[in-house]
Amino acid sequence: MIRTENVTKYFNRGNPDEVIAINDVSIEIKKGDFTVLKGPSGSGKTTLLSLIGCMSRPTSGKVIVENRDVSRLPERFMTEVRRNTFGFIFQQFHLIKGITVSDNVMLPLYPTGIKPSKLRKRAEEILINLGMGSRKDFPVQKLSGGEQQRTAIARALINNPDIILADEPTAHLDTHLSEEFLSIMRNLQQEGKTIVVATHDPLVYEKDCVNLIVEMRDGMVKDIIKKN
Amino acid sequence: MALEKHRNILDYTLQALLRRKFKNIGIILVFTFVIFMLSSILFLSYSLRQEAHLILQDSPEIVVQKMRAGRHELIPINLEKDIRKIPGVSSTEPRYWGYYYDSGAKANYTILGIGTAILKNNRLLNGRMPLPHEKNVAAIGRGIADVRIIKKDIGSTLYLQAADGRWMNFNIIGIFESDSEIITSDLIIISEDDFKILNNMPEGMATDLIVHVSNETEIPTVAKKVKEQFPDSRPILRDEIIRTYDAVFGWRSGLIITLFTGALIAFIILAWDKATGLSAEEKQEIGILKAIGWETSDVLEMKFWEGLVISLTSFISGLILAYVHIFFLGASLFAPALKGWSVIYPDFKLTPFIDFYQIATLTAITIVPYIASTIIPSWKASITDPDTVMRG
Repeated sequence: MIRTENVTKYFNRGNPDEVIAINDVSIEIKKGDFTVLKGPSGSGKTTLLSLIGCMSRPTSGKVIVENRDVSRLPERFMTEVRRNTFGFIFQQFHLIKGITVSDNVMLPLYPTGIKPSKLRKRAEEILINLGMGSRKDFPVQKLSGGEQQRTAIARALINNPDIILADEPTAHLDTHLSEEFLSIMRNLQQEGKTIVVATHDPLVYEKDCVNLIVEMRDGMVKDIIKKN
Repeated sequence: MALEKHRNILDYTLQALLRRKFKNIGIILVFTFVIFMLSSILFLSYSLRQEAHLILQDSPEIVVQKMRAGRHELIPINLEKDIRKIPGVSSTEPRYWGYYYDSGAKANYTILGIGTAILKNNRLLNGRMPLPHEKNVAAIGRGIADVRIIKKDIGSTLYLQAADGRWMNFNIIGIFESDSEIITSDLIIISEDDFKILNNMPEGMATDLIVHVSNETEIPTVAKKVKEQFPDSRPILRDEIIRTYDAVFGWRSGLIITLFTGALIAFIILAWDKATGLSAEEKQEIGILKAIGWETSDVLEMKFWEGLVISLTSFISGLILAYVHIFFLGASLFAPALKGWSVIYPDFKLTPFIDFYQIATLTAITIVPYIASTIIPSWKASITDPDTVMRG
């Protein structure tokens, strides 16, 4: 499903402030896996997540998604892969303030040309499934942290992606809301989706549903733990 | 499908504009003001020129004036027969005109005593012209009707004080239409006989002589021959008058535009700063859109709509305001600078003439650069990796 082969990523290469964020990382994630990229801040887990999600390109090495090398794809095809394959949940949620919950959820599919009425129906179905049906017309800035995250999850699901990528999803949530988030992720996994979460929260990586832990430090893979 | 895509992006753009309404309203206000000022100048100078052309196209080919010490003075009518002998001249006739200062209205009027030839030129008149020897009747401009005549209509009476101090009354038999207002607003046309009485003109003299030339191409040659034969005369060609009007209005509008350049530059700086200086929030929004599946072209389309909506709204508002200002409110802001002293009194309303080439030029120098200044920085932001968004 997802494979990285000797992936290295430099930032500001050739400059005095050059940083090697990922160094020779090779991992393999199978379809339906719930994978955690674990490690302290600066270990490279967010960079690896963005490389997997086609949000940046590796300096060297290969990123293979569904048997396709995406690391050298032109920008347009990268966007296509990103839109059709991945759903992103960001640490800060990154919702667009000033518009409603349902408008935020529909946003990824605006450029696809699907009729607004059809899009809205689809967004409302997802929001209802996530317990957010009553909040669909709320401006997102008026939502609680947990509601904002569920909106972000709904947005990640609108394109019915095979792979969900989440970056530090529980960083701003209390234990109860973190459990709620994990419960949603477990359900998605059971629906056959592949989940990749970058986190250093034990509440996440100690969960039973997690079957692959990639432990990272200083941009390198320190350990890979497979669970059944 | 493709149409829905553009509609969706346009919908989102409108939402985005509303989210930053204070910034955008600010830009629209300044942009509208700039368009209003530029359009007002263009509308006004073009309309003045068009009005001048409209009237002058029926004016005589050559007017001969007598000069003494560099000043225009009365011309003997008997020169006519000598001028008529010049090859190419089809006819001549004396013309009687002058100014009348109305102390009550603090206005200068132009008075014309007419001959037969002018009778043909009455297409802009509501009513009729005085006959050559008809007593105590007048055709007047709309401006004088507004200032002097209570009923402002045909059948009213106009009183003028003659050079010998007595009052003469004139029955109004014609009023000029608005299409000719630039020339006729302050114009009083009376018969040749009344003109001579009103101004105490000596017999055998006229203000100047009109010379008609059958062949247009011979006009300069005829004028040259008149000047050679009568060195103290000044032949004035119709084309010269038209060119003078063009130059004067062109120069005046250029002067105002020059004075306005400071404001224009200030706008350009403001627009550039507002449009190019993407805020951190806007940059992040572009990053989010890219991260969730928008292509660079989708982001640029959104920015295009944004620039178009702002600039088009401002452009149309500025254009409408300028139209109202010039053609309904009498160009009150800068008419004195453009019209000049001779037509300030009495005031007149301009007939709408719009040069669409000028509007297209204005569109090209305002809307196009604005849209470009909106798209370019967004393009720079949208071609960078959305990865930075992941990092907050």
